[in-house]
Amino acid sequence: MKGMKIPGILIGTLLLTAVLLAQTTVDWPMVNGDYSGRHFSLLKRINSSNVNNLTQGWTWRANPGNGPVAGGGATSATIKGTPIVVNGVMYTTIPDHVWAVDARTGRELWHFSWKSKGGWHIGNRGAAVLGSTLYVETPDCNLIALNIADGKERWHTEICDLEQFYYGSVAPTIVKNHVIVGVSGDDLDIPGYVEAHDPETGKLQWRWYTYPNPNDPEAKTWPSVEAMMHGGGMTWGPSAYDPELNLYYFGTGNPQPVIAGRGREGSNLYTESIIALNPDTGKLVWYFQASPHDTHDWDAIEAPILFDGEVNGQPRKLLAQASRNGWFFVLDRTNGKNILSTEFVKTNWTKGVDAKGQPIPDPKKEPQFNGALVSPNQGGAVNWPPPSYSPDTGLFYVNATRAFSVYYLYDTDDKPEGWGGNDRGGWSESMLEAIDYKTGKIRWIHKWPATPAIRSGLLSTAGNLLFAGDNASNLIAFDPKDGSILWHAELRSNLSNTPITYELDGVQYLAVAAGDTIYTFK
Amino acid sequence: MRRLTIRAIPPIFAGGILLAAVVFAAGQAGPSVRQVIDNAAATRGRAVYAQYCINCHGSNVKGGENGPDLIRSVVVLHDRLGDEIGPAMKKLASHPRDLTQEQVLDLSHFLHQRIEATSSNRNTNQPPNVLTGNVAAGQAYFNGAGKCSTCHSPTGDLAGYGTRTTPINIQQNFLFPRLARGGKQVEVTVTPATGAAVTGPLVRIDDFNVSLRGADGQTQVFRRDANVKVEVRDPLAVHHELLDQYTDTDMHNIVAYLESLK
Repeated sequence: MKGMKIPGILIGTLLLTAVLLAQTTVDWPMVNGDYSGRHFSLLKRINSSNVNNLTQGWTWRANPGNGPVAGGGATSATIKGTPIVVNGVMYTTIPDHVWAVDARTGRELWHFSWKSKGGWHIGNRGAAVLGSTLYVETPDCNLIALNIADGKERWHTEICDLEQFYYGSVAPTIVKNHVIVGVSGDDLDIPGYVEAHDPETGKLQWRWYTYPNPNDPEAKTWPSVEAMMHGGGMTWGPSAYDPELNLYYFGTGNPQPVIAGRGREGSNLYTESIIALNPDTGKLVWYFQASPHDTHDWDAIEAPILFDGEVNGQPRKLLAQASRNGWFFVLDRTNGKNILSTEFVKTNWTKGVDAKGQPIPDPKKEPQFNGALVSPNQGGAVNWPPPSYSPDTGLFYVNATRAFSVYYLYDTDDKPEGWGGNDRGGWSESMLEAIDYKTGKIRWIHKWPATPAIRSGLLSTAGNLLFAGDNASNLIAFDPKDGSILWHAELRSNLSNTPITYELDGVQYLAVAAGDTIYTFK
Repeated sequence: MRRLTIRAIPPIFAGGILLAAVVFAAGQAGPSVRQVIDNAAATRGRAVYAQYCINCHGSNVKGGENGPDLIRSVVVLHDRLGDEIGPAMKKLASHPRDLTQEQVLDLSHFLHQRIEATSSNRNTNQPPNVLTGNVAAGQAYFNGAGKCSTCHSPTGDLAGYGTRTTPINIQQNFLFPRLARGGKQVEVTVTPATGAAVTGPLVRIDDFNVSLRGADGQTQVFRRDANVKVEVRDPLAVHHELLDQYTDTDMHNIVAYLESLK
């Protein structure tokens, strides 16, 4: 029987890879839509000429039941994971729960519930499917494999140590025969890592820690090996993959201690960096640090977006990230060399950029005992909701926030641990921006009328549409070329992640999660 | 009996004690089954630590040249009521091997107390001391570059302000003022394509609708389109604009000046 399963997995891998490379999929087979992370769909039955005719289709509401939720964080059923659609079935998640829903009708097909042993229940970012198996993380540090036919568990394996205050929230990524997962947690000083598991058995294939080998030159960015090996750098964001280069890309989170930087002098590699790994070996290929020696909790885990473009008349393989620290980076994704670094919102924490294009932090804007007024705030200029890139317009779209807060240092110890401080207060304004990746200039901007920060991901399509959510429960279609509004629908709550689109029986569907409900339009 | 050694308790009873001290704990990071800190035991454990551990593991439990950090110790993090640290001390060289079970238990409570404090130290019970600025410089900024005196007066709305609130609230309030209930409100004027302009406190606005409270107290909703003119006036906008202007020194000086208004 085992001999029968392995070819099945391989066939599934090949089919999935072929579909992703061709980018003609009518499914939404992974949380980012495809390996590029662009959140761009080639579907165009719904387009700028007919979007006004969109009508609401089925809705579905997550009902996890009334059982106790172990561990911390929000206990509501807010869907923060971008759903995936495979072969006419939508799979959606919240912490400890997975559902399969008929993507034509919204009828619930099965519900999997995990009995938790703890961990932050702040959100689950989604699932991944390979062949007939679905993979999802749980807050209590498990990677679970489910049969997509009935939601029954095939296996589970521990991916982190709950006792050290790690937790699981990340959407796994399938690359060939690897299920690649990241980890979360920054209450104590623990190191981040990504690791790959065998899709058939769950067996660990490799693990890569987000700190250098002690003998590497990058280790000198820490004052000691102990500080380095307890220096954080969680891997809780989305990832991307270039099959041609065979490189796996993701960002790393804040260093530890989070706010109190004394005791970890230096730039603290590889925290808050964009990383390229070989997915077969877990070996580092290159890195670029978005926030050297961060003391503001500005995880650089925001989606790395891959696209091919033109720079100074030359075709280039590019990677772009709008980072939580307010800076927009364009890199050569073959080698990590910087092409462009510019602010996409005004900030006040840098003294420019260094020769590598990395921002130079202003020590005066590190948290202070009597407070330092800093922009952006801890929530950041962006956070986990994904941006979008449209190859049709050549524009990078991001829901951005400009915010201030005061950062205070609490820990007076020579060796602070944990957080050791925090920020407080704040004022913010939010806007949808279209960034020209060649220049970093903002091509157009739509300022949201209401003030709270926006936490909605974006979707662009070949139908000349850009979908976004505002903070007044509206789902809005923009013209991606100029930012004019073409259509909107009022939902019962704000978008809680990212619009997706898929096609079934010649009908294109638009689907969004808002709170505990998935809405569809067609 | 004030304390019992676990070894002296029948296994089933010991299990009961264990369950009583290791309970389900919701609303926090880490495992849901956590050791409930017995503060009296932790105090006794501090004395055990001072006698046997402090020379190598440091006065702050964060390690030293001769011993590792015990807050970051995987053994300690996995420990429940001494079940990990007790055996570990017996195996490791240069560690006390003759501690009683109750001493191990007390030490466990002390170490877990340190872990819990560290894992939650993003919050503080001690407000930061933000009163570090210069009163005269703050007054000069108030009357000069900040143009605060345009709207505020130390003998008017700010008379006695330093007695009414704490320094950190002074700092937060002038940086990020919020509209007070019953006080000034964001105001909006809506001019429809036909008909007279209507002005009132803003209730809600997005790209498609704007609503305000009319003179009669009723909420009026207007559909927004290209023919409807909407003008929003935020009385606190000048405070928001100042966020780009303040230096941290300005900020500290203003706190000192406002706090001096007794």
